[in-house]
Amino acid sequence: MYRPTLLVLSVVAFTTGAQADPLPPDATYRPLPTQPFSEVKRMDEQQKAEVMKRQAALLNERYDLSDRPQPGAMMSGGRKAVQGGARVKLGGGMSWDRLAGLSAEEIRDRDLLPQGFRPLPHVKQATGGQVFPQGQIDAIARLEQRDLRRFDVDLDLPDHLTPEFPPPIFLTTHPELGDVSRGQVLSLRNFYEIMNGIITPVQMEGLRLLLTPFPQEEFNQTEDRKVAEPSMGVACLDCHTNFHTNAAFHLTPDVRPQSARFRLDTTSLRGMFNQQIHGSKRSLRSVEDFTEFEQRTAYFNGDHVSATRKGVHLPDRPNQVAMMAQMQNIIDFPPAPKLDVTGRLIPEKATAQELAGERIFNGKGRCAECHTPPHFLDDRMHDLKLERFYKVGKTVNDQVALPDGPIKTFTLRGIKDSPPYLHDGRLPTLADTVEFFNLVLGLKLTQQEKDALVAYMLTL
Amino acid sequence: MHTRSILALAALALVALPARAQLGNPGMTDPATAEARPGTPAPGETNPQDRLFLKLAAMGNLGEVEAGHLALTKSSNPRVQAFARQMTEDHSATREKLDRLARDRRLPAPTTPQPDQQAARQRLESLSGRAFDAAYLETQLVDHQKTVQLLEWEIGSGQDAAVQHLAKDTLPAVLEHLRQVQTLMAETTGAPPQGLATMPMGAGEGRR
Repeated sequence: MYRPTLLVLSVVAFTTGAQADPLPPDATYRPLPTQPFSEVKRMDEQQKAEVMKRQAALLNERYDLSDRPQPGAMMSGGRKAVQGGARVKLGGGMSWDRLAGLSAEEIRDRDLLPQGFRPLPHVKQATGGQVFPQGQIDAIARLEQRDLRRFDVDLDLPDHLTPEFPPPIFLTTHPELGDVSRGQVLSLRNFYEIMNGIITPVQMEGLRLLLTPFPQEEFNQTEDRKVAEPSMGVACLDCHTNFHTNAAFHLTPDVRPQSARFRLDTTSLRGMFNQQIHGSKRSLRSVEDFTEFEQRTAYFNGDHVSATRKGVHLPDRPNQVAMMAQMQNIIDFPPAPKLDVTGRLIPEKATAQELAGERIFNGKGRCAECHTPPHFLDDRMHDLKLERFYKVGKTVNDQVALPDGPIKTFTLRGIKDSPPYLHDGRLPTLADTVEFFNLVLGLKLTQQEKDALVAYMLTL
Repeated sequence: MHTRSILALAALALVALPARAQLGNPGMTDPATAEARPGTPAPGETNPQDRLFLKLAAMGNLGEVEAGHLALTKSSNPRVQAFARQMTEDHSATREKLDRLARDRRLPAPTTPQPDQQAARQRLESLSGRAFDAAYLETQLVDHQKTVQLLEWEIGSGQDAAVQHLAKDTLPAVLEHLRQVQTLMAETTGAPPQGLATMPMGAGEGRR
């Protein structure tokens, strides 16, 4: 009785002392470059074609990337059509209904989970970092003569599967004005002219800061950059164009080592005023915290050491951070004329299919359990445990597919404007999201019910 | 005809391999790297990371095999013994692959386990019965947790495609070992299962 207890205690004591042999130092911290910039640039440029070819092959294997708009569905600015149909490819002989009829164990053991439902790697996982779409690169080059083009990678998604550009801007302080963007990309050169008389001085100063470029991991003045000339850096709104998203992506700052980090699709800032947790994984509790800390996370991969070396911007909390937050907190959702004040469809304005979709959303589809009206989010993080359906640990394009753990619920208001979907952008269309959740939640929806859900989500 | 087309496919797969090869960040590669074609390291070109990985992985495997042999003589739990047997087999096989890669690259093959494994071995030698099983499983948990991270690190930080492929191919098996350890720990302690033991990976996953 007495002796075994002593033994166990001694094991614990020894164990504590013996586990002091760590993994290699750069498993957590970013290593310094070992080569001069010119040499790195040469190799990166020479690899680029192969890098893009490899990623294109992966996307083509996973998705139908064709340009097939959903009839009658436009994004809120009227500049881009919403794409229709499920684009995730099924294996040979498989149908969505047959897949949904199989157990998670069977799908996992027979490796039947569609590739497009699995984690989506960065174009160049081993390097990672922010990648901007061509529209943003061109707009910032024209407006600010600032270079956002990387010499090692380009955005991998075709233009028709990304949000409209530039996206409209709706303000909670001026619902009567509608889109105040004037069809332009907000930049340091034009924001004052566009917003003068519409926002307050405090909001204006916040906006100026959100548009001011600061050094970043790949865009800075040291040799450790992925842009040809020493760079002024990037601005918050370089990804969140006009406070929405332009489908720019990077890798989550919250995971190590590099191959285990998952891709992050830029989220829209619309509806920030009602959002209580921020960051897919970080769960920061205020937009102030997020705004302050983003400079060390998205900008520098969560590495404050690298940030310090490259010139981090640490905004002053009571003044600058507060003003940036106040600007973000007046960004409204796009209009949803078919919804009433509680976020329910107005029966006279909605079609029978949309109404049917709403019933499924709140009932059989179980969507509203997390995406609760009127803001269609629950301010919680949830773990869908997708790893039930695939064998973890497989490496695809240098990314190791591992369980993602809990991820923040994103709002579905204005969701038709924000492809691609899921935190890493692995699902190209709303129809894909319906198929995904039909499987993950075991809903057994009919085709008619799936179509109704898509029709309903287009009204949000 | 059928066999031939399978062979042709296999040959094609081998040829197609470099297209899906690891494409790393050239900023962190060894300056002395020879290139197979512009921008792509020649086969067998290693980074300091590849060399460190080969060393740490070989030492770790050695420790795994030694600990497995010890458990086979000291444990009286058939489940723990079966696990230990599998460890000695799997890790011996991996060690041979690692040694071959190291030999081809004229790198010394380590002859001792990692320091923490050596310390753990001394401790294990003084234990018996259930105390031994608990301590053995605990060291196996830490070893496999670290090995998973080490393999992921090599996949992201290495430059030598052959070494990275080994890391990539070994990772699912090591995750399966980790799941087995976590399952055994739950069974022997009565605590609820943790980690991968909560998400069964399917019979024989990772063993090829």
